[in-house]
Amino acid sequence: MKDNTNILTIITWVVLLSTISILLNDMREFDFNQFKEFQNWAKSADKNESWFTSKNLIEWSYYVISTGLFFWRGYLIYGFSYFLSILKEIESGNYFSNKNIGYFKKIGNIFIWYTVNVLVLRFLLAVINKSTFNFFNELKTEFTFLIPAGLAFFILAEIFKRGKQTEQENELTI
Amino acid sequence: MPIVVNLDEILVRRQMKSKELAEIIGITTANLSILKSGKAKAIRFTTLEAICKALNCQPSDILKYVE
Repeated sequence: MKDNTNILTIITWVVLLSTISILLNDMREFDFNQFKEFQNWAKSADKNESWFTSKNLIEWSYYVISTGLFFWRGYLIYGFSYFLSILKEIESGNYFSNKNIGYFKKIGNIFIWYTVNVLVLRFLLAVINKSTFNFFNELKTEFTFLIPAGLAFFILAEIFKRGKQTEQENELTI
Repeated sequence: MPIVVNLDEILVRRQMKSKELAEIIGITTANLSILKSGKAKAIRFTTLEAICKALNCQPSDILKYVE
């Protein structure tokens, strides 16, 4: 079992590092100088213009949403890091510990929150860009598998809770 | 739990220490203590058999139902 745990730990590290590098690369490629444009606009904006329909404000919203998307991707990577904590617990022989149950719930939460928030942000982005947003097409994209995965982690947490009770009963059987 | 483990009484009657009994039946003193304190959730037939054999008694001498 320990050998398997080591292999899984290595795989998790590889996944974690590659997702971090992809995220950092995407952030590097994102043109942050455009934010300066907004700052300049904020100084010289026409105060009489309705703020809601202002072109620059819409542009700015685009950057905010893009930043939000980066944030949620970072949050998802943070969720992946819990796999390492679970593997560490398993390595030390604590299979049905309270920590593991908590980690499973956290991962489930992160997966579901990530998907829901990314969907909302993509919808807003589509509205701002005045492009079409097809909810079902978005659901078909590769990232939505995270909702069933998140639910699976909640189920695992419940199973582990029961497992913990059984383990305690077994320990108290003399 | 309404099931009470009456080991202490029998151990006194047999003039046997808990440690000795634990050694004879092959369980740890910690586990025997769990059994005596009533914290145990269940008892295996093999353990019950070993206790009865070591103390020369019946299961009913060890376990009692109290309402």
